[in-house]
Amino acid sequence: MDKSRSHPETLREVQPFTFSQSSLQDFSDCPRRFQLRYLFQLSWPAPIAEPIQENERLTRAGERFHNLARQALLGVSLDALHESVLASGESNLPLWWQHFLQLIPLLQVGECRPEYSVSVPMGEHRLLAKFDLVQYFATEQRAVIWDWKTSLHRPPRARLEKRWQTHLYPYLLARTGLPRLGNASLTPSGIEMVYWFPHTPDQPERFLYSEEQFQRDEESLQAILAEINRRQPSQFEQTANERHCHFCVYRSLCERGIQAGSLEEMEGDIDAPGESSLDLNFDQIGEIAF
Amino acid sequence: MVKLTPAQHHLLNQPFEKRIFLEGPAGSGKTTVGVVRMLQLLHAGVPGDQMLVLVPQRALGIPYLRALASPEAPPGGQVSVLTAGGLARRMVDLFWPLIARQAGFAHPERPPVFLTLETAQYYMAHLVRPLLEEGFFESISIDRNRLYSQILDNLNKAALTGFPIEEISERLSAAWNGESSQRRVFADAQHCAMLFRRYCLEHNLLDFSLQVEVFRNFLHPSFLCRAYLHDSVRHLIADNIEEDTPFAHDILREWLPELDSALLIFDQDAGYRRFLGADPESAIRLAAACHETLLFTNSLVTRPGMETLGEALGNVLLIYSPHHSQPTPPQKNDWKEILNFPPQSLRFYPQMLDWVADEVARLVESGTRPGEIAILAPILSDALRFSLANRLDVRGIPYRSHRPSRSLADEPAARCLLTLARLAHPKWNQPIEPEEVIHALFIAIDGLDLVRARLLGSIVFRKHSRQLSSFTQIKPEMQERITYSVGNRYETLRTWLSDYAAQPEMELDLFFSRLFGEVLSQPGFGFHTDLDAGRVTANLIESAQKFRQAVENAGGMEGTSPGCEYLAMVRDGVIASTYVSSWQPPVEDAVFIAPAYTFLLYNRPVEHQFWLDAGSNAWFERLYQPLTHPYVLSRGWEPGRLWTAAEEYQTNRETLFRLTLGLLRRCREKVHLAFSELSEGGFEQRGMLLRSIYQIQIQETRHG
Ligand code: SF4
Repeated sequence: MDKSRSHPETLREVQPFTFSQSSLQDFSDCPRRFQLRYLFQLSWPAPIAEPIQENERLTRAGERFHNLARQALLGVSLDALHESVLASGESNLPLWWQHFLQLIPLLQVGECRPEYSVSVPMGEHRLLAKFDLVQYFATEQRAVIWDWKTSLHRPPRARLEKRWQTHLYPYLLARTGLPRLGNASLTPSGIEMVYWFPHTPDQPERFLYSEEQFQRDEESLQAILAEINRRQPSQFEQTANERHCHFCVYRSLCERGIQAGSLEEMEGDIDAPGESSLDLNFDQIGEIAF
Repeated sequence: MVKLTPAQHHLLNQPFEKRIFLEGPAGSGKTTVGVVRMLQLLHAGVPGDQMLVLVPQRALGIPYLRALASPEAPPGGQVSVLTAGGLARRMVDLFWPLIARQAGFAHPERPPVFLTLETAQYYMAHLVRPLLEEGFFESISIDRNRLYSQILDNLNKAALTGFPIEEISERLSAAWNGESSQRRVFADAQHCAMLFRRYCLEHNLLDFSLQVEVFRNFLHPSFLCRAYLHDSVRHLIADNIEEDTPFAHDILREWLPELDSALLIFDQDAGYRRFLGADPESAIRLAAACHETLLFTNSLVTRPGMETLGEALGNVLLIYSPHHSQPTPPQKNDWKEILNFPPQSLRFYPQMLDWVADEVARLVESGTRPGEIAILAPILSDALRFSLANRLDVRGIPYRSHRPSRSLADEPAARCLLTLARLAHPKWNQPIEPEEVIHALFIAIDGLDLVRARLLGSIVFRKHSRQLSSFTQIKPEMQERITYSVGNRYETLRTWLSDYAAQPEMELDLFFSRLFGEVLSQPGFGFHTDLDAGRVTANLIESAQKFRQAVENAGGMEGTSPGCEYLAMVRDGVIASTYVSSWQPPVEDAVFIAPAYTFLLYNRPVEHQFWLDAGSNAWFERLYQPLTHPYVLSRGWEPGRLWTAAEEYQTNRETLFRLTLGLLRRCREKVHLAFSELSEGGFEQRGMLLRSIYQIQIQETRHG
């Protein structure tokens, strides 16, 4: 056997670890999934949802939309982008783009940082956020975190409210401030998190942050990190909520079903696996062996 | 917390706004100080998202990434750790609509299609194959895939060095000093390169060379991209610039005057990636664009004997030639303590491998950590890797390799999936051998041994029909021998495949995913708890998906589906024959088996190095590359000059010197020289490396 194919079994073996909203959410949804995905780093390429082609198409359309939004916010000509939307042949994209064009004037107030990532140490680990857009209003010392959600179904507000992203993102922005935009320390009450859905643009979900929430989030982040750190290999148990298994690639390994769940029932808060704590874009030539 | 030397402190005490060029040998603490400087800047309030760490290849960025992932890094924006090629690709992706038309792409309104090494090889094969039938390259005998990759390599060299691709053959021909028929080969290579470039422009395809050219010629001069880079790169640390290319150096030269801080790190006597366009001479010229050059001289890694041996090798390889004076013997004899030879002469190659494995086991038993041992070969063939791996396995020694010992398409799980894909797509008319079906059943069905797999396969598969028949049609006594539980599983698989075949065809990567999820990884099937099979399947899916997306985005292909074409390309060895992405989770404490150059570029010193097959000429000679040339296509080459045999010989000596010096500077305790009288192929071994060491010994004996 190739001895190189072993893997860590507890968090203590992979210190330091960079936690993202997905990994925290994974642990909350199913500790076993966290263990398989981040500790074992197990690629298990089963379908996430059916029809598999439709799910793939939607994922690609979502990626495309994120890219377009970023390009538009960096000043690439809207006409050229519009032309590429029409040429894409992607059915959802023209409508999403149309809605985004209507949003742009609102985003042009204040200063914008598209695709901005921050990380913060917590104990022996780090926390990471990748913002789609941070908008900053200097006079009011106020910042809005925008997150584009392109999934087919929007999750109810109550579910969004419980998601780690809703807490982690404002928490990290409050910790780091926006030094490049002239503000090194934002107060929590000056931060707002907005989920914007390009297919229902008039109903964004907004979450105002506050000092109390910041304190609560800090405590819960410390608690969950300590909890994950404490666990022995056998303590990453499978979830009791089998709904998570319908849209989880590990369902065959866990003996939790054969077919992937229906895309119709998949809510927009389910993340596809694949996010890595070292997400870097290296070129192809670097790996060619001599 | 790392303890720093006075030289390192001196550098860290320099004001940030000073542009510093740091030079020194490997192991003198340059990267350590680079990492500390990065943290120093962050702690001083420099926003991480205005800092770039530029490295020539991924492995060399790891110390920076580790530091950024540790709790010692302060809160804030993320530092980018990139290669120049990665940066070019990011910028092309981001600002594509700005320049696509101007750069000559036929469909600027469509997104760019970035080619991987695999997909670039595929398109090259697609264009060159018909020309081979017409007699292109008929005077040379070379494996087709190496031919394709050398044409791509020429394009990359032109882009990285900065000369027009139209000049490739002119430059190669002008330097050629042998038979004139070779000029025809260069002309063929030029024709293929031009054809490929035209095809890329027509289909929005960007291989590595085109990514570099588009960035250099169109994006970098554009206002928007420049403003973006000016805003996002205020502080720069560029490490191992001697391994980087003139393309990277040109960018640095332009940026340097405008940066708020810069630290350039240059490793002396290196430049190991020359085959990939590295140009240390171009790198050193950047010192002139900095305020100050600092020198680190002392090795923090090696014992004094290593330096003595390095110097002695330099005397033999660089100064001495039959026409010149005798080399001076080593000044000290401490170099003998750091060399270990087999106790007696080993005649055969396998004896040498046994000696290496025994020595490794002895070291581990006496307390050396396996991670402190590297087994290095000039070229690491799959067979050699396998032989070593077996010997270490038997002795219970953990090891790791820079890539798995098999190609993706040879992995049992991948072979099983590929065979099942051919069975599920009878319309594709892909040949299937009975042995392949037997192997696929053996791998796919849990509880099926090879004997019964053979029995089952030979009954249910008929080569002419390319289909599987039902278990229920087998005679009862045979069913009993195969067992009913296996029969049930077989039926599940067979029914799944035939149900699939009855429906409209699906994309191949999605087919693999569904087959994996719904059958092969379910209880009762071979991949169920096989974590490696999951990884291999994920790699195969990724390879097939990238292939499909490249083909689809480029406007599809006529008369065949991407899945069918993918399977044909795998069979031809164009695709899935190498691993481009690493899929093995790294294990720190394991013996590292690698080609010597790869080890150098991992840049992690060890206590013990085994120089395998030290008598082989492969340590000395350049790879056979009839279509390209790393020196002639470099920036420093004077056009029109001839590349002579003497130059080749002298360059090889210099290269061997740099290689051995680099290895010695990354070794803390001992170098174990492993060699046998006869090579693997049964020939006497008299390679330059071993001869040079003998020569040092002789000189010392003479001088008493
Ligand atoms: S299949 Fe269910 S139990 Fe298993 S990892 Fe996924 S969510 Fe957890």
